[in-house]
Amino acid sequence: MRAWLSLALFFGGVVMLTSACATSEEWSDWKGHNTHFASGTHGFFSLRNNRDGSNPRVTRTDVESARQENWWGKAITVSPEQIFQN
Amino acid sequence: MRRLHPRVLGGLLLTAALVVPGGVTHAAPEDALMPLEKYTTLKGKSLASAHRTRLLQFSQHIYNCLPWLSVYPGELGFRPPRDNQSDDRYLSTWIFVDQREDAVFAALPQERRVSAMFSRYGVDMLRRMAGLPEVIEDANVAGLSVVLSWLKPGTSRPGRQAVNETFALFIDKGTLREFLAKRVSAEEFTNRAKFTLFDGLDPVGRVPIEVWEDSFNSTYKVTNYEPPKGVTCP
Repeated sequence: MRAWLSLALFFGGVVMLTSACATSEEWSDWKGHNTHFASGTHGFFSLRNNRDGSNPRVTRTDVESARQENWWGKAITVSPEQIFQN
Repeated sequence: MRRLHPRVLGGLLLTAALVVPGGVTHAAPEDALMPLEKYTTLKGKSLASAHRTRLLQFSQHIYNCLPWLSVYPGELGFRPPRDNQSDDRYLSTWIFVDQREDAVFAALPQERRVSAMFSRYGVDMLRRMAGLPEVIEDANVAGLSVVLSWLKPGTSRPGRQAVNETFALFIDKGTLREFLAKRVSAEEFTNRAKFTLFDGLDPVGRVPIEVWEDSFNSTYKVTNYEPPKGVTCP
């Protein structure tokens, strides 16, 4: 019984350590990769450019269109009155 | 071909306009400026009038040169924090960051997401705002404020209601100047700043944040992006 308990504690500890390592790894990955953030936008423009081929220019209007096409509806956002006075 | 009576044609066009969904809406740079009539004090109105041209140029710069960001309509102006008793006006910009679902971002605890967003976009926006000397040196400007909103990870999935996380920070001019000149540490900067986080509509309050150097917003270029003719993006 005691052996089983020790084994369970050992594996529990391993799982906790592994998950902690993954978190810190992800964290350093996040801080280190400058292009990580706009990945969605990045991907969209790549797709668009591949599709168009002949005209790879991207304009501000394209960016707006991309934003709209990928939109998921109106997101719940705090109102300005909760932050500012006028 | 059978011709339609103008009234019938007009009706059809109106119906089509009301029924057909989509229609991309573009918020022009001038839409970002807080309308003059919304200011409730003479001080606010005077600031908005005096610096309108410069703020419009700033808005155009964000619109044309930082297309991955957008200023919320009417949210670039001079405003006091909600809880202020005095009419201290902060030059403020509320930015939406187009951050899509991302596994690494989603894995971060909320305060880390705030730290990442503020370090990446907030500091750079404050730096750009501080680069408007004629505005900042106005004696009626008490400080600067940046508000950042982004999609809360996991909330844009089908069947979920999308939620934005919003971080609002206010800082006095002197501290910001010293921080940007590296004479005040990031820790001291956050100690002196007033800031709060909202999870959707819910106030989370002051969360522990870390600020580090991140050059993304000042160096990132959208592949093949071309600003409009006549616009130069440094």
